[in-house]
Amino acid sequence: MSIIQQHSNATLGDAWRTINIDALTEDSSVNFDTSTLHPPQPEISEADARQINTQVRQLLRGGDAEGALRGCLDTPVYNGSEAAKDAHLQTITEVLQSIKASEMSPLLKSIYSSEGGNEALDVLMKYIYKGMGAGAPKVSRTPSGVTPQSTGGFSQVGGRPGSNEPTGAAMSVLLSWHEKVVDVAGLGCIGRTMTDWRRV
Amino acid sequence: MSQSLRPYLQAVRSSLTAALTLSNFASQTAERHNVPEIEAQTSPEVVLTPLTISRNENERVLIEPSINSVRISIKIKQADEIEHILVHKFTRFLTQRAESFFILRRKPIKGYDISFLITNFHTEEMLKHKLVDFIIQFMEEVDKEISEMKLFVGGTVPLLARAEVNRLQLNARARFVAESFLTPVSRAVAACPAMS
Repeated sequence: MSIIQQHSNATLGDAWRTINIDALTEDSSVNFDTSTLHPPQPEISEADARQINTQVRQLLRGGDAEGALRGCLDTPVYNGSEAAKDAHLQTITEVLQSIKASEMSPLLKSIYSSEGGNEALDVLMKYIYKGMGAGAPKVSRTPSGVTPQSTGGFSQVGGRPGSNEPTGAAMSVLLSWHEKVVDVAGLGCIGRTMTDWRRV
Repeated sequence: MSQSLRPYLQAVRSSLTAALTLSNFASQTAERHNVPEIEAQTSPEVVLTPLTISRNENERVLIEPSINSVRISIKIKQADEIEHILVHKFTRFLTQRAESFFILRRKPIKGYDISFLITNFHTEEMLKHKLVDFIIQFMEEVDKEISEMKLFVGGTVPLLARAEVNRLQLNARARFVAESFLTPVSRAVAACPAMS
């Protein structure tokens, strides 16, 4: 059989060029198990997240903003479904939006000086970034593995601008919280947000 | 500066300062290679959590840190079609001259208009706070430039003819602006004797 006859449509394409052969080797660095980088976390279900939400709302209605914020920061959803994570993010965003700008700094300072306060502010920082990233397109965290990707041409088709009014206000709240948290807890809390593998 | 721009830039500044803590790290996949891990994506344990800072839906910054490189992607405000074209032309002009900018990435990542890639070699050669200043200054200036260019394009010419007529003028304008951006970079490089 001649070489030419062995070609099929699959081999004539150029999709095989994009196969990542490193991913097929078991002890390659691509296959590093990142779950070894953090201790196992208790799983929090969506129902639990909703329960925290109602508790926090009660505290807010009672005027205890610090207790409400502290309450939701003490139970971050590290391990749970997307729905549970989103529900908890919504809880925290609600609390942040209901606190007045003049109360932010004293409140953060009193949380920071209390026991486990810096941990709580790290969690707050994670949720601030998550809240700001909610509207952005998802970045694929995992390398593409063995799936061949098409090597198609460039596309000029981008997203068209849309209206931005409701999100703009929510973002400016998060941005001012971000500034206040950095003022109180320093740049370290951003560093820990980046390096901590317990992701919210 | 508008009310919401200041906290936005402040958040970008502090996040960038925290993210630009890079160290030399050789590739674990290929021997005697040293590649930006954020681009190679071959070692999941050295790629850190990406941070998004957004001012609203249409303006945001994505910072993707890793052990030896940081990728910063900026989505520039585009209120209408004409600004969309202007941003495209402007970023295209800059990315074609990427080697003069050192830290500019030749192609923006998906969903963003322009990307920068800062590696540990850049932070060794250039001053870190100057790099942060450069990105912040870029973000400040780019909005201003786009709206100025929009005024420049505007007028009584019908839309279709306008695009054609002003293409050359726009290119000249973009060239001027790009050159003005080049100066702070070369100054930042010149400020560090190790580079020369």
